[in-house]
Amino acid sequence: MATRIDRAGELIEGMKRKRKELFTPEGVPLDIQIAGHGERLTAFIIDMVFMIAVIYGLYLILLMLLFSRTGLVSFKIGMTIILFIAFIVRNLYFLHFELAWQGRTPGKRICSLRVISRAGGELSPSAVVARNLTREVEIFLPLGLFLSIDAESAALGKVALLGWAAALTVLPLFNREHLRAGDLIGGTQVIALPKRVLLGDLTEQRMSHRTVALPKNYIFTHEQLAIYGNFELQVLEEILRRPANVENVNLLTVVCVKICRKIGWDEPVPPEDTRRFLNDFYAAERANLERSQLFGNVREDKSTALKR
Amino acid sequence: MIMNEFWLDKPQLKEPRLTLRSAEFRKGREQAWQRLDEIVERVEKESISVLSAEEAQELPMLYSAAMSSLSIARTIVLDRNLLLYLENLTLRAYLIVYGPRYGISLCLRKFFQRDFPRSVRKMSLHLLTALAALLVGIAAGYAFVRSDINNFHLLVSEQLAKGRGAASTASDLRNIIFSPWPGFVSTFIEFASFLFQHNTMVGIFSFGLGFMLGIPTFALLAYNGLVLGAFAALYAEHSLTVEFIGWLSIHGVTEILAILLCGAAGLVVAEKVLFPGSLPRLESLALHGREAASVAAGSISLFFIAGILEGGFRQLIDYTLLRYAFALMTAFLWFYYFGFAGKGNNYGDAD
Repeated sequence: MATRIDRAGELIEGMKRKRKELFTPEGVPLDIQIAGHGERLTAFIIDMVFMIAVIYGLYLILLMLLFSRTGLVSFKIGMTIILFIAFIVRNLYFLHFELAWQGRTPGKRICSLRVISRAGGELSPSAVVARNLTREVEIFLPLGLFLSIDAESAALGKVALLGWAAALTVLPLFNREHLRAGDLIGGTQVIALPKRVLLGDLTEQRMSHRTVALPKNYIFTHEQLAIYGNFELQVLEEILRRPANVENVNLLTVVCVKICRKIGWDEPVPPEDTRRFLNDFYAAERANLERSQLFGNVREDKSTALKR
Repeated sequence: MIMNEFWLDKPQLKEPRLTLRSAEFRKGREQAWQRLDEIVERVEKESISVLSAEEAQELPMLYSAAMSSLSIARTIVLDRNLLLYLENLTLRAYLIVYGPRYGISLCLRKFFQRDFPRSVRKMSLHLLTALAALLVGIAAGYAFVRSDINNFHLLVSEQLAKGRGAASTASDLRNIIFSPWPGFVSTFIEFASFLFQHNTMVGIFSFGLGFMLGIPTFALLAYNGLVLGAFAALYAEHSLTVEFIGWLSIHGVTEILAILLCGAAGLVVAEKVLFPGSLPRLESLALHGREAASVAAGSISLFFIAGILEGGFRQLIDYTLLRYAFALMTAFLWFYYFGFAGKGNNYGDAD
């Protein structure tokens, strides 16, 4: 459905994520936003930092134990235990968090990302295992190979192997849903799911702000309301919801002048009334567009004709 | 100026009032959304188990109410903030309502009691293929080193050989097989831990590399076979074959089985990449890949056991006959586990 593409958001935030529909048992398709490469890389780096911090923390504890006089453990046993724990941390970090936190590791949580099952439904433990065992080959193997190649021992075989391994690593760049090999095997996918807050209705705000002393609402004609479409309405909403600082007040004035010219509003709007005027215009325009949408007449934006 | 018809004139009011359908729609439902938001937020912060019985009962109802709100909102509401909020809220609630139902401990029990042996039984053909690759490697390595003992160094790196090689005498080799037990700490903790980590990485690689059409998996299996064959040939050169097999099989049964399982899992993935069958390639891969990955993960527990056996028990038991008996026992246990465990217990699941 065309109205569900958030064009206003794309214009204002300048960010365009790929979208996909997820089919639910309730029969209502849900829109999901596929996570971008940058977001996923950031989350991964944050996770790596956490992991390395944990492992180095363990080293520090070991050193402290060694230098304390008690001599609780010998160096060799301590080292072995640490290596073992480091191994466990490395292999279980992603597994544990993705299972326990509904598909989110700390890094993913910070970046508002989440692993979900591609087919919809439960993210099964085996899917999480699959996508994380493959990580070893996709990321750590090429990384290890890369670090092990130096100028002298750059054997052709090694470079070829690195090339092959790296081909797997860059797989997410070459498919529409940014799947890496682990996602393919596990049947999973990473989506962006930032939490959203429900703000007040702008049309209600207009009512509540009204005090006895305020003048009457601005009233618009049919013709004036027939100029804009949903897209412009939602951009206006976005601008009206911005905090009232100098920059945004200036923006409102510019927008107000433009709208007045477009709809042929002849009376001058006093500067202190700009917001009220726009708010009234927004409310009337939304009422108009919602009503015609209810009758099946969707108007995408000002340049498209009314769909019947 | 024409009075806009949306400004409904109400005689009791001095001025016209605007009523928006979407605003009315919102007023009636907003509280339920906020309540759902609260519950979802709490579950996201901790887990589904933080909910009280009433809340757990409330969740699906609130969820389906939000779902129907969403589908109405999509047709009648133009408030962008409200639409995005509802899309977001329902998706988050969906992920919780249809989220994982089991805790980690039940998952593990289910896995080891039922799913792991079942999945292994399903991939017996791949297991045999992996075994064939390993055997080819062993045969080649054995023949190659038997033809000229100096070839040993071509196949086995110094790190693995640990001084053994063409120059080793029979008593050198015998001493390794029957070396005295170096003590609990050095064997059960240090050596076992090292072996476990090393073997697990080999196993994970042979699974993960299956995605590259299985060629590296075959190569890894065959290479492991080559090394094994080379060692066998070295010991055979000094007629220590029987002792060598006894020494190796204590842990070898478990370890080789685990490597084969990982290899077989890799081959399943490779097969589904190449020949997806009747399903679309991605779906087929997702369906079988998950099962294969769980087998690979399960065999990590085998590596753990093998590490302990290799690090500790191998030197603790130093009679060849006892070693054979022990190896046979582990072989029998694994055969029983993978052959018969998990038949019938369904945990109330449909399949």
